[in-house]
Amino acid sequence: MPNERLNGIISLLLASALLGFLSGCAELQQVAESAARQSGNEQLARAIHGGGTLISGLLPIGYEEEQSIGQAIALQVVARYGGLFEQPDLTRYVNLVGRAVALTCDRPDIAYHFAILNHDSINAFAAPAGYVFLTRGLLGQVRNEAELAAVVGHEIAHVSQKHILEVIQRSKQVAGVTEAGLAYANQNPEAFKGLIDAAVKKLLDEGLDQDKETQADALGDVFAARVGYDPTAYLALLNRLRALKGDDKAFFKTHPNFSARIKAVQNVIEAQGLKPTGVLASERFARSSKRL
Amino acid sequence: MRRRGPLTLLSMILVASLVAGLAAAETVYVGATTAKLRSGKTSLDPAVAELKFGEALEVLRKEGGWLEVRTAAAVRGWIFANKTTPSKPAGGGDFLAKLGKSMRRTEASEVTASAGARGLDKVSEGYAQRVGISQQDRDAVDRMTAYRLTDQEVEDFLRDGGLGEYAK
Repeated sequence: MPNERLNGIISLLLASALLGFLSGCAELQQVAESAARQSGNEQLARAIHGGGTLISGLLPIGYEEEQSIGQAIALQVVARYGGLFEQPDLTRYVNLVGRAVALTCDRPDIAYHFAILNHDSINAFAAPAGYVFLTRGLLGQVRNEAELAAVVGHEIAHVSQKHILEVIQRSKQVAGVTEAGLAYANQNPEAFKGLIDAAVKKLLDEGLDQDKETQADALGDVFAARVGYDPTAYLALLNRLRALKGDDKAFFKTHPNFSARIKAVQNVIEAQGLKPTGVLASERFARSSKRL
Repeated sequence: MRRRGPLTLLSMILVASLVAGLAAAETVYVGATTAKLRSGKTSLDPAVAELKFGEALEVLRKEGGWLEVRTAAAVRGWIFANKTTPSKPAGGGDFLAKLGKSMRRTEASEVTASAGARGLDKVSEGYAQRVGISQQDRDAVDRMTAYRLTDQEVEDFLRDGGLGEYAK
């Protein structure tokens, strides 16, 4: 233990020193840039500016920026999918299941928001900063709370793994954009719109990469199982959807086919040693979803 | 400065991560926003302490889905294992993201992980206006953002369903 404490102190000191050094570095850079500009060497000023831009462009998107991006994408999802299905009791229920699963996910410290889209299609979406949407059509196919928990878990996994943010990060690098937050969006509204458009296109039209979907299936089922739900419930839902629509024309048009997903989830249940708990909470689900 | 900055930055990040990794051994962290330390390893046992998110706990032993732990204040008790994580949770933005923000020239106001209790922020409001999102849809996302359940409501929901630490 004393060694660990010592390591902890050293770690803290190093991290503080590093942060201090870097903020100092940024300030120094601004001074150098300003000096170069005042001396009339605009080319050098731009080169110094570019050095900082390069570094900050490669660093991850912060939570504040993530919230702006998430809200902008959420607005597009709601606009394109018929608005929200306003049923307070059902919305509260979906939020309770969502919060229960989010508590056990790998990123439990941010606020998650759950809503039902007034749309017949069978689909679900997640936007950065914890925005999770399920369509009324998808809820109509769900038979119990354990299935709902796994679906919600899948979307939470997209948020916790920052799958959409990766798309934005790539777009930012291609466009040479370093900031997506408040100050940047106010100064460059068209460029901010460009970033959101690209992310919405990927999310709603093209779909995320299939390995991200497979990862979200696996993590989502693990998160639901951690709460105590039966991990095999998700298999029952995926099987039902496959029977309904088949593999060639998957309902989740942007996802891998159902057979591949079922096999991948079976593998995760086995590899993680997830035990069937028999907890489906079917009655509570039936009671809560009767106004669907 | 221009040539050495990025290289020095990378090497320091590596060293800091390595030391932080070593320091995390044999310790878990509270990974849930609400967590109770109990005198025994069932949800029926009385709580001996309310734990804070991110709090470090020394693991003494593991039994079933529960861990016997000691807090920094030397309080000993049991915590439901799923409420802990092996590495220190990062908060709303992780270390590198915070670093990225510190490098940028334009700063917006500081927010915490609990931010979001308000509705839409100025950026998304401005975006909605520019792209012509209807007022109805703006209100919908605004309500969705501001919607809150209390920790107690979630706790009651878990207890009612025999879930989490209330599993039978």
